[in-house]
Amino acid sequence: MKASMRDPKEVLREADRREIRRYLGYRGREAEPAVEEAIDRCREDLIREAAPRAAYRRFELEKGEDGSLVLIRPEEAGKVEEMRILSRDLARNLEGCLAVYMMAATLGPGPDRLVRRAEILRVSHTVIYQAAGAAMAEAWCDAVNERIREEEKAEGLFLRPRFSPGYGDLPLTCQKDFMRILRMDRDLGIRLSESLLMTPTKSVTAFIGVTDQPGRACLSGCAACGAADCPYRKE
Amino acid sequence: MTLKERLGREWLFCDGGMGTILQAKGLAGGELPETWNLTRPEDILDLHCSYLEAGADIFNTNTFGANSLKFPDDLEKIVEAAVDLAKQARVRTGREDAFIALDIGPTGRLLEPMGDLGFEEAVEIFGRTIRCGAAAGADLVLIETMSDSYEAKAAVLAARENCSLPVLITTIFDASGKLLTGGTVDSVTAMLEGLGVDALGVNCGLGPEQMLPIVKRLTEVASVPVIVNPNAGLPRTENGRTVYDVDPDTFAGWMEQIADLGVQVVGGCCGTTPAHIRETRRRVLEKPFRPASAKKRTVVSSYCQAVEIGKKPVIIGERINPTGKKKFKEALRRSDVEYILGEGLRQEDQGAHILDVNVGLPEIDEPAMMETVVRGLQSVLGLPLQIDTTDIEALERGLRCYNGKAMINSVNGKQESMDAVFPLVRKYGGVVVALVLDEDGIPDTAEGRVRIARRIYEEAARYGIGPEDIVIDGLAMTISSDARSAGVTLETLRRVRDELGGHTILGVSNISFGLPRREIINSHFLTMAMQMGLSCAIINPGNEAMMQSYRAFNALYALDDNCMDYIGAYAGTTAPVGAPAGPAAAPAEGKSPSGTYSLAACIERGMAGSAEKAVRDLVGKTDPMTLINEELIPALDRVGQGFEKGTIFLPQLLMSAEAAKAAFEVVKETMQGEDRETRGRVILATVKGDIHDIGKNIVKVMLENYGYEVLDLGKDVAPEIIADTAIRENIALVGLSALMTTTVVSMEETIRLLRKVKPDTRVVVGGAVMTQEYADAIGADCYARDAMATVRYADEVFGFA
Repeated sequence: MKASMRDPKEVLREADRREIRRYLGYRGREAEPAVEEAIDRCREDLIREAAPRAAYRRFELEKGEDGSLVLIRPEEAGKVEEMRILSRDLARNLEGCLAVYMMAATLGPGPDRLVRRAEILRVSHTVIYQAAGAAMAEAWCDAVNERIREEEKAEGLFLRPRFSPGYGDLPLTCQKDFMRILRMDRDLGIRLSESLLMTPTKSVTAFIGVTDQPGRACLSGCAACGAADCPYRKE
Repeated sequence: MTLKERLGREWLFCDGGMGTILQAKGLAGGELPETWNLTRPEDILDLHCSYLEAGADIFNTNTFGANSLKFPDDLEKIVEAAVDLAKQARVRTGREDAFIALDIGPTGRLLEPMGDLGFEEAVEIFGRTIRCGAAAGADLVLIETMSDSYEAKAAVLAARENCSLPVLITTIFDASGKLLTGGTVDSVTAMLEGLGVDALGVNCGLGPEQMLPIVKRLTEVASVPVIVNPNAGLPRTENGRTVYDVDPDTFAGWMEQIADLGVQVVGGCCGTTPAHIRETRRRVLEKPFRPASAKKRTVVSSYCQAVEIGKKPVIIGERINPTGKKKFKEALRRSDVEYILGEGLRQEDQGAHILDVNVGLPEIDEPAMMETVVRGLQSVLGLPLQIDTTDIEALERGLRCYNGKAMINSVNGKQESMDAVFPLVRKYGGVVVALVLDEDGIPDTAEGRVRIARRIYEEAARYGIGPEDIVIDGLAMTISSDARSAGVTLETLRRVRDELGGHTILGVSNISFGLPRREIINSHFLTMAMQMGLSCAIINPGNEAMMQSYRAFNALYALDDNCMDYIGAYAGTTAPVGAPAGPAAAPAEGKSPSGTYSLAACIERGMAGSAEKAVRDLVGKTDPMTLINEELIPALDRVGQGFEKGTIFLPQLLMSAEAAKAAFEVVKETMQGEDRETRGRVILATVKGDIHDIGKNIVKVMLENYGYEVLDLGKDVAPEIIADTAIRENIALVGLSALMTTTVVSMEETIRLLRKVKPDTRVVVGGAVMTQEYADAIGADCYARDAMATVRYADEVFGFA
């Protein structure tokens, strides 16, 4: 359930600097010297204040009559339906999968506090904390994802790319299922707002499909997203 | 026997896991466990019976998630059924001696300011469940699995205000010994004991083995009985099933070790079964029972740290106080909370351990301001706060919303003062500053002051407030009017320490009022006072002379391990460190030393410190308005144009803006009153439902730099508030920000309302999801793609384009 992982702080330290610059709008360019210096300081603050945590669970995957995805948990009392989702885009992502993981990862409340402090003393640092925090959250997710990949590889199985609530037609309402199923509240300290946003904000939830077919072409990340004019889109 | 008669006097046992067992019995995904009270009562009854038969003395109703958020309509039915099932179980098993614990879990939502659930709203949510459970016949309230100290406080207050049952609480620590929101064993214990809980402890999250160090610390600091309810080890998943591995025998073995640490109540949580409880009970009962003992420590706390008073002198930052500060008073009048928070953050960086918070000004609503400032401070910094007010309502508002155990400034020996303050200390907890004055004024002898101190201790004891929660203020008064006053104060400190074994505090700088170069007297007096046992010094931590005295004293008194603090502060510096430069030290020539940048270059490069220095060199020689219009604004404009062309990026734009702001501040100081002309007044707000306000804050900085006055209404702002403010202040331009598609609806609603009630106001919109098409569709006057675009539009609206 809780991933025992590589040293999470080490993972954060390795978050790609180019990625941070990309989030800041620099598109592959070097930042100005004063900004590069600020990035260094903000990265150190984030690594110090972050408390990375993650959780994941694996479910059997079945198809409902109406085409919905059904996540199944076997119990002594029999098979229990854990969750049912109607989403064309997720269904496409999980096409041919026999199981699915639900995962959640967070950097904890520290980064949000750093942003809040910076709002009062140095607004310029808020955007840098945001950018570096986003890159670190991504790196942390990748590390958790990698750990799951290794576990499944041992069984001769493969993973599909992560698919998060809010992608395509997968509604944010399924964040409530993530909360309940992964006990994000008590194990990760993640809560939902009324509008279904996660606090701490540097948190990610995702489905990851498990399949026995290797390397089926499947778009991921920016390439899978329809927002072609997004300023952060990777070339 | 009642629970209070048994708790802390003998071993008591809690039950074990409930949710994990219901899942194994087939609880479906998304099905709320509490519904089984109505739909499958036999299963719940069986579970209770099996725990009672295993020997549990305290067992939980199936109400962990029973709150009005999850059961808005049938909460009462669910809770009554839960208590009823527990009563039936007691009868069926013949365990009439067992206690029914009304189980209270977290709401599932996060409290403000990080989340969107109001503190009082949370108190009411818990209150409704507790009123119902108490009426139905529960014997105690057990608040459990709390991972946020603020939510824990809301739950405890709700229990204390809605029933007279004993209140037990357990929180969830991680392996590093912290709550998920950052609290430590020390900070949580201080707060909960202050709130008067009957027992406290730890549950869930970890197995018994991992809990050992946490439990050890709990038994060292807690004065009330300690409860330990671990999981059956750390969870694993097997094909979607959650599995806990520690079997009853192993579990009981660890629980024996936990019992040896001196806890009083043990049980289990997730994954534990009646077999775990039975075996634990059998083995722990053979262990000698040790009652909890009063630790008599003086501790204040914040959401994340505890500060102990009495070991090493503590610095209490005095800067959040309007007395004699024009800018601070102005900030209070304008409700400029950010300014006040800035004062707090600076003092934290300068080395304060606690912050005094005084927001008293005759013409403002002090209780409301106290609450706002306390909430604001605890959202950005981790230092404990000292609520400083003579207004009892402001004191209660501050204490109530405070996420920790506060310091209280102050009570005094007048009966009226003690009658007003002590009930609040008793209800909310706190370490209270006691001034040694009474109806007859301030005694001019140490003997007189010590006598009042004794009386205050005695009166406090009648409220159950121990001497450890009182700090005596020996009263520093200026030696310029009475040469003996320092001697009396110092002798008072000594006698409180030596004769009463008490802790002391002083507003140190009062000693030099009316004298020149006050810090010379102040810093020496501070050293003398610490020598006489001063526990807390209320000072300005930004005053280097005072901090030098403080650090030197600690180093000399073996209170600074290996002189690390001292070395950390002064290694590589030269005397006098940071001493304010006398007039002679200021550069006399207009030319910057070689190698430094011009003012404009500093701004363009985003170097705030250098910009400030550069402008200090120029003021006095150049007319302020010329400086602004010919140096600052053009530099800022060049950066803005670069941003618009795509050669300069957002971080650089903001750093330049900050450098310009620092320069403006210096120029403003020299303009003495004649304020820079305002280009216009603009409302900014992030719309209802949206809690992201970074974009809005960026726009704010830019607008202010261009000379606009910004009325920042914050985030998650209702349309009515925006419209009302626009009407009241007659605002010509409103800027709205939304980050999410879901909140663009609120934006549209706000615009519709503004059109109706204030049609001449223009609206500019922006935010991550916003596009020109969206802006057109919801009827905005302008879509601004970034902060500079907003500035340009404001210039257009106000005729500066």
